[in-house]
Amino acid sequence: MPEAPAVQIDNLSKSFDGVEVLRDISLTVNKGEVVSVLGSSGSGKSTLLRCINWLEEPDRGSIHIAGQRIGVDAQGKRMNNRDLAAIRAKTGMVFQSFNLWPHLNVLQNVMEAPMQVKKMRKDEARAIAQTLLEKVGMEQKAEAFPYTLSGGQKQRVAIARALAMSPEVILFDEPTSALDPERVGEVLTVMKNLSSEGYTMIVVTHEMEFARAVSDQVVFLEKGLLIEKSAPEKFFTNPETERVRKFLELST
Amino acid sequence: MNGQAWLLLLEGAWTTLWISSIAIALGVVIGLGIALLRMARIPFVEQALVLYVSLARATPLVTLVLFIFLSAPTFGLAMDRNTAAILALTLNTAAFNAEVWRTAFISFSREQKEAALACGMTNGVFFRRIMLPQMITSSLPGLVNEMSFLIKSSPAIAVIGIVDLTRVTNRISAVTYEPLPPILAAALLYMLIIGVLLKVQAIAEKKANRLAM
Amino acid sequence: MTEWSIIWEARDAFLNGALNTLILFVLSVLAAFVIGCFSVYLLEGRNWLSTLLRGAINLMRMLPFLVLAYLLYYGLPALGIKPSAWGAGLVALAIYHAAYFAEILRGARLVLPLGQVEAAKAHGFRPGRLYWRIILPQLVIRTRPLLGNQLIYALKDTAFLTIITVQELTAAANSVQATYFIPTEAFVVVIALYWVISICLELALKWASRFGAKRGFEHA
Repeated sequence: MPEAPAVQIDNLSKSFDGVEVLRDISLTVNKGEVVSVLGSSGSGKSTLLRCINWLEEPDRGSIHIAGQRIGVDAQGKRMNNRDLAAIRAKTGMVFQSFNLWPHLNVLQNVMEAPMQVKKMRKDEARAIAQTLLEKVGMEQKAEAFPYTLSGGQKQRVAIARALAMSPEVILFDEPTSALDPERVGEVLTVMKNLSSEGYTMIVVTHEMEFARAVSDQVVFLEKGLLIEKSAPEKFFTNPETERVRKFLELST
Repeated sequence: MNGQAWLLLLEGAWTTLWISSIAIALGVVIGLGIALLRMARIPFVEQALVLYVSLARATPLVTLVLFIFLSAPTFGLAMDRNTAAILALTLNTAAFNAEVWRTAFISFSREQKEAALACGMTNGVFFRRIMLPQMITSSLPGLVNEMSFLIKSSPAIAVIGIVDLTRVTNRISAVTYEPLPPILAAALLYMLIIGVLLKVQAIAEKKANRLAM
Repeated sequence: MTEWSIIWEARDAFLNGALNTLILFVLSVLAAFVIGCFSVYLLEGRNWLSTLLRGAINLMRMLPFLVLAYLLYYGLPALGIKPSAWGAGLVALAIYHAAYFAEILRGARLVLPLGQVEAAKAHGFRPGRLYWRIILPQLVIRTRPLLGNQLIYALKDTAFLTIITVQELTAAANSVQATYFIPTEAFVVVIALYWVISICLELALKWASRFGAKRGFEHA
């Protein structure tokens, strides 16, 4: 039996107050793949990402994380909170606004979920957290509190926090959009390293260079529709649709 | 003022402190309970709590203490002075604390909750590990502020004959015929107690501001 | 319902008490507000007077209101001044709450944007005019909710004066209950009266806040 894809999205639709923000979207992300999601603002790309870990509940369609359906149980009913949390633990998320927990220091931010959700022992969680902080270059700041960090540093800690749960997939929601321009590079470098280490990532972004260099697939959303899905070389040099061609012209 | 007078004063200060402390401890916890209940928005309970908070904020403590102490027997409740005083102080301070806690609830960021849920935390773990610790830190300045207000209104319990730090000055001057020294000494002791609380409040504010950054 | 008919018979006692409470409250907060505004004006300067004021304000913040009332009512006779309970109460209320008003306004003064003060100076405003025409109105509008809270505190503090024998609303309830042994009804009536007065205050403040909202101030 072949291994289940990290994320499988089938016929996903979602509307807010009668406005359809996602329309019949299907997408498969295999283990180790990096998928970049592009589109202008309001195209639904953040909503798509937030549906994957059920922060938004879609109206129709299904999502499987490593073969397991999220949000809906075997009887087709709404999943109870405990089971939902257990599946969410298989995904990691990095937010535009970092969302570090301000009452915990850097190390504690990374250790918290493994200890509370996976019931990991403290010394074990600490060892993992320290390794991950080294990976994102924040081991020097382990004892610092979030308010003392720059945006780029906060985001690198947030990435370590997401990695600490050894997720099947990491969801990045415009991870560099809230950063000063000179801080964008340090976060992208960390993300590039992760992709070469084989992490599965879905990245909503405006960074074209990054999408082109790192992705295995690029998908383009327009008004809630997935209108193009191709390999990066093809997407950036010879897109199928006029809309993408225009988008690329405007953003270069 | 002689040593005897100072001893009486300290006794009065002790009465003020222990009665206030019990009311503060009860009031902080009950205030949290009220805030949580109000967030649950249960019909009737919600309206009853709004009414309680509004009444408690408008009723002078002197009036409340007299009311509780004098009318308890008509309901067949034997209540001694100290119990009546603690009950009145608690009813008063819990209402203010409930508002402090509720403000912390309402202003808590939704994004931090999402970050917790995205890691696989259940709502219970999120509340216990992420929300409550921050609510305590961000509410603390307001709670400590309310503690100094409670100490400042605690002389109200003198009205039912409790010999607190204010009332004791009457006792002393009844013997010495010099009212000014004991009142000034009592003022000094109050300033000491409330000065400490103001200091604590300043430190708490510094800590709370870090969370907001 | 004989208890309630006794209350109705004793309505004059309640009304007199309520009237006295209202007079004490209105006179004292008016005086306190004026003193508070002047104090903040004096705090604009940096001299011995402002240092003294700062100290006095901090002192009041650490003192229970009743202790100040005691100082004036029981303490002043030692210095040869013998105030009435009513007079001592009124002065105590005014001084005490003036300090709190001043503290509230001063807090807002510290965070007032520097630019507009400079703009006024550039237009040739002298310090006095600058304070009363430009700074103070903004401080009052910005701190409206806090000032409103302080008004409620002042209203409640009038009840302390029953302890120094002022015949206000709570004293009225106490004397009615002592005469007729109906504590529950007597106090329910006065608590309701305090409640009504404070609700009227809040409504008045809400109405006043439209004034601030029209000018685009937050909290309004």
